[in-house]
Amino acid sequence: MIPEHKFINADNIEDVLRLLNENDNAKVIAGGTDIIPGFHIDSARFKEIELLIDINKIKDFNSIELADNHLSIGASSNFTQIINDPNVNKYFPLLVNAVSQIGSHQIRNRATIGGNFINNAPCADSVPALLIYNAVLEIKSIIETKEIPLSEFLLKQYQTALNTNEVVTRVKLPFLNENYSGKFYKLGRRRGVAISRISLAVLMKKSNGIIEDVRIAGGAVTPIGTRFTKIEDMMKGKAAKSDLFKEAAQKIGEQILELTGLRWSSIYKLPVVQQKIYQLLEEINLEMNSVNKNEN
Amino acid sequence: MKIKFTLNKKKVTAEVESTERLIDLLRNKFQLMGTKEGCSIGECGACTILMDGKAVNSCLVLAEQIEGAEIITIEGIADGEQLHPIQENFIKAGAIQCGFCTPGMVVSSYELLNENPEPNEEEIKEAIAGNLCRCTGYKQIIDAVKISAEQLRDSK
Ligand code: FES
Ligand code: FES
Repeated sequence: MIPEHKFINADNIEDVLRLLNENDNAKVIAGGTDIIPGFHIDSARFKEIELLIDINKIKDFNSIELADNHLSIGASSNFTQIINDPNVNKYFPLLVNAVSQIGSHQIRNRATIGGNFINNAPCADSVPALLIYNAVLEIKSIIETKEIPLSEFLLKQYQTALNTNEVVTRVKLPFLNENYSGKFYKLGRRRGVAISRISLAVLMKKSNGIIEDVRIAGGAVTPIGTRFTKIEDMMKGKAAKSDLFKEAAQKIGEQILELTGLRWSSIYKLPVVQQKIYQLLEEINLEMNSVNKNEN
Repeated sequence: MKIKFTLNKKKVTAEVESTERLIDLLRNKFQLMGTKEGCSIGECGACTILMDGKAVNSCLVLAEQIEGAEIITIEGIADGEQLHPIQENFIKAGAIQCGFCTPGMVVSSYELLNENPEPNEEEIKEAIAGNLCRCTGYKQIIDAVKISAEQLRDSK
C-alpha cells in the first residue's frame, strides 16, 4: 500500500529548496522506481515521508550539458536519456555501459542517475562508473550551492552526506585528458531485472609501458560502492605487467574481506572478483598495446 | 488532487488519491483491465503502459505524477475492435498461452518498433527483458515481434 502523503509538482528549483527547508519530512521524487516499490513493501527507509516533491517537470534537473572542463548531467536525467546522449557516449562510455545494464527497459525509462546513488544502496550500478570518473555532485539548499565528490557523499549503506534541506542538482564528470582506456563488468542473476551481485569498473592510462594512472571501483562487493585507492597508488609508476595485475587483484580481495567481514557469499564472490579484476586489467592493457601499435 | 492527462488519445480529468498508483487509476477508475498487475514492484512488466511514448511500469508511477502526460494502454494500441498488427502476430505465432503477460509484451514491442523499425534479435530480447512470461519460453514472442517488424516496415 502507498501511504497517504502530500504531493507537490514543483516547476522550479526555488520552490523545491523552499519546500525542503520548510518540511523536515519531505522527499524529492523523480523516477520513483526506488521509493514507490519501497512504499509498496512497507520499507522502513521511506516510513517518515510526509511530503513528496516531484521534480520531473523541471528542465534544469534533467538536461545534459557540455561545460568547459566537464560534462554536467542533471540529477533527474533518466538512464535512457543517458544511454542516448552522444556526449556521454563519447566521453564516458563506461557510464553508458553500466547504466544500460540497470533494471529493464521500462525501469531505465524512469529511473534517474541521482536516484541511483541518493539512497546509497550497495548495488547501485552507476556508482562504480561514476567513482572512476571522479564524479562531483552539485548540491543546493536555500542557503548555498556546494560541490562535493561522490566518494565523500556516500557514507555508509543507505546513508549519504545529504542534509534534509538539500537536493542534488547535477552530476559533474571532469573530462579525462586522453589515453585512458577502461572496462565495466557486471554479474547479475539473470538478464533484465537482476539486482547486481558484482559490478566492477576499471580505468587505466599508461605511457611507455608504465602505469600513469589507474582507477578501480567495485559495487555490490563492498557495503557501499568503493574506490580501491590504496591499491591504485601501489600500481602507479610501475610497469603494466601480469604480475602486477595479479598482485593488485589479490590485494583488492583482501581489502574487500576487511571491509565486509566474512559474509556467506564471500566464498563464492571473492575468487570471482579477484579473477575478474585481473582479467579486466589484462584486457585493458592488451587493448592499449594494440591501439598503440596501430598508431605507430 | 485533480489531474488532467491524455488517456488513449482522449483528454481526461480525474480526482486521484495520494495512495493510488497509475495502475490503480487505470484499472479501478477507468476500467481498463488490459493492464495487469503481477509483482507490483517493477520486476514482471505485466503492467507496462506507454507514458509520453515510453514503456513504463504503471505499478511504479503514482497517479499524481501523470499530470499532463500522454498515457497509452493496451486498449489504445488496438484500433477499436481492429487489433494492431503486433497483436495479430502474437496470436498467429502462438505467443499467447495464458495471456497474462501479453498486454505488457505487446506494449514493450510497440515502443521498440516505434523507435527501431529494424531490430535484431538481441535488441528484441533487450526490449522485452523486463517482461516475464511463465508460459511460452519467449521464442514465439520474439518471432511475433520479428514478423511484426517486417510487416510494419512493408506497410510504410
Ligand atoms: S506489476 Fe508492475 S512490473 Fe510487475
Ligand atoms: S503467456 Fe502466460 S505468462 Fe506469458
